[in-house]
Amino acid sequence: MLTPPRGRGSRRPPLAGRHRKDGSPPTLQGGAAGGHCGYISPVLQLRFENVRRRFGRLSVLQGVTGGVGPGELLAVTGPNGSGKSTLLRCLSGLLAPDGGTIEYRENGHPLDAAARRRRVGVVAPDLAFYGEMTVGENLEFFARLRRMPPDRGLAVLDRLQLPLDRMASALSSGMRQRLRWGWALLHSPRLLLLDEPFQNFDAAGERIARELLAEHLAGGGAAVVANPSTLELDDVAGRLDLGR
Amino acid sequence: MKTFSAWLLWLWMCLVIVGAFFYAPIAVGFRSPGSSRILFFHVPMAWTSFLAFIAAAVWSVKYLLRRNPRDDRAADVAIQLGLLFGVLATVTGALWANIEWGQYWNWDPRQTSLLASILFYAAYLGLRQSVEEPEKRARLAAAYALLGLVVTPFLFWVVPRITTSLHPDPVVNQSGKVDMDAPNLQVLLASGLGFAALFFWIHNLQCRLQALSERRATPKE
Amino acid sequence: MWRDASTWAAEAAAVFAKEWRCEFRTLYALNTLALFAFTTLVVVSFSLGPLGVERSAGSAVLPVLLWIILLFSVAAGLPRTFVQEEESQTAMALRLSATPSALFCGKLLYNLTLVLALEVLVTPAYLIMTSLRVASPGLLVAVLAAGGFGLATGSTLVAAIIAQARSKGTLFSVLSFPIFLPLLILAVELTRGAVFGDPGGVAVPVLLLYDASLTVAGLMLFPLVWNP
Repeated sequence: MLTPPRGRGSRRPPLAGRHRKDGSPPTLQGGAAGGHCGYISPVLQLRFENVRRRFGRLSVLQGVTGGVGPGELLAVTGPNGSGKSTLLRCLSGLLAPDGGTIEYRENGHPLDAAARRRRVGVVAPDLAFYGEMTVGENLEFFARLRRMPPDRGLAVLDRLQLPLDRMASALSSGMRQRLRWGWALLHSPRLLLLDEPFQNFDAAGERIARELLAEHLAGGGAAVVANPSTLELDDVAGRLDLGR
Repeated sequence: MKTFSAWLLWLWMCLVIVGAFFYAPIAVGFRSPGSSRILFFHVPMAWTSFLAFIAAAVWSVKYLLRRNPRDDRAADVAIQLGLLFGVLATVTGALWANIEWGQYWNWDPRQTSLLASILFYAAYLGLRQSVEEPEKRARLAAAYALLGLVVTPFLFWVVPRITTSLHPDPVVNQSGKVDMDAPNLQVLLASGLGFAALFFWIHNLQCRLQALSERRATPKE
Repeated sequence: MWRDASTWAAEAAAVFAKEWRCEFRTLYALNTLALFAFTTLVVVSFSLGPLGVERSAGSAVLPVLLWIILLFSVAAGLPRTFVQEEESQTAMALRLSATPSALFCGKLLYNLTLVLALEVLVTPAYLIMTSLRVASPGLLVAVLAAGGFGLATGSTLVAAIIAQARSKGTLFSVLSFPIFLPLLILAVELTRGAVFGDPGGVAVPVLLLYDASLTVAGLMLFPLVWNP
């Protein structure tokens, strides 16, 4: 539909100027704690061009272009209503754009929207979990859905200090945000799509999350972060400003 | 070319009407043979409503494959017209049934199946009304229209079982297709073709009308 | 993209287990079904008993009423499977992790067990309160199972459709009843046969065929309904 057909020629070389700062190819830092298992993809690329999306009469995205490669972070900024969340939704495959293309490759294989949906890690303010189950049961359920052994990613949960036995409905908003991070990282995704990722965090939570993000990037992953303009992010490879 | 075909269609339907009343011989075996001429219109209208529902399913498939809003609009209009023809067929059928068998509604298998499919496709319109986002509406409606392809054959296959078992009196097959002499058959088929062409013509007009009114409602930025 | 069957089945099983785990903790669906079914049952029995419909006239009608009770209870209690996901916003997490076909099957199995539980609760009570004697109980069980399966599979697909629309309650009835009509007709005919002792005849394979068609249609249409 809106992504190019598969098998279109060989791998494209990474975009110029997108390597890490010291010019070395991305590698996994040995012994990185935080639950990233040893698998790493040599080529990881997200590229979107001229993405458009309207809701009824309101044109939210009017031709947005950008991309990320391994170890890079793309910060999407703009005022409220500028389409940051909409863009992230399109990138994650939850929303189909009205126009433009979104291309995502892992290991050189292009993935369509359905595959992309399951591969990415998403943190978003409207992400919710089952209140009738505990935190542990929720994560176990989603691990089974993603066909992973349920104990994978436990190290991440440890670092986030998630109380596995508490009912998901009884979590504070800060804890809920930690649960979203835990859920997003559970399947060791290569691409993180973070919509207001530090919302509701206390100082400790934000520190842990920033560490996790840094480790993810250092390990060769990519991230697109939709960010209120007031928040500082380190190590930003590219900026995309949707402000009018 | 379009105007020419429209006029041709008009001429064709005039001929059909004239043929139904003057050319076709009086049908034997009916209680009121004169009024049985309504069948030349009633039966093609039922055929046309089936044609409309099948066409809607085809457009729904096209939409799901290519996501072109035009296909969604075509499916929507096709179902609206299918309902129109279906209701007309039901009404004309009931009128005729009253003359022929003394009551408007007989639980005749065809009558009942047609009514049930009208209910199904009226629900399609209800579904469209309940979803605001155009892309979601199109997708859900297309899925439901395709579900109709599965359900309606069963309706027409299953309903006769029960109506004939509830009403053991043999109800004459409404189309009376067996033993039709040539002029009757000619008029019937000509009428069928005419109504089918009418469907496509109205469909084309209505699609364009709906497209225009949509464009007026959402100005391009 | 097909993975091996064992893991797909495990995914569907996980969905099924999750549904029942949540259900056991809230008992929402079972309560709704039971309450609605029993209230309707009592009303129906009243109209047939004390209000004085002749016993002989009644027994021709009783199979129909049983299925009407089941149909309306299903419409009251089953749509929640998908509506709940959208309303509590867990649908987003599901869309990002589940394979649509496995999700559909897991929910379908859950709805099936709900319908079967409903039938187990309602049918004996119905037979007792209406003093209905059944000539072939085996056939009755078979009809309830096959008809119940059809109700479950139709409900699952329609619930998925209406969960994304407004006015979900009424829309479910409007969309699903035409779909259930062939099923109901066949089930009533077979139930009547079970009560009076007529053999099933051709109706049984047609009912199973309809169930199968609905299931296949559901499996094929669900990914289109679920994903953008």
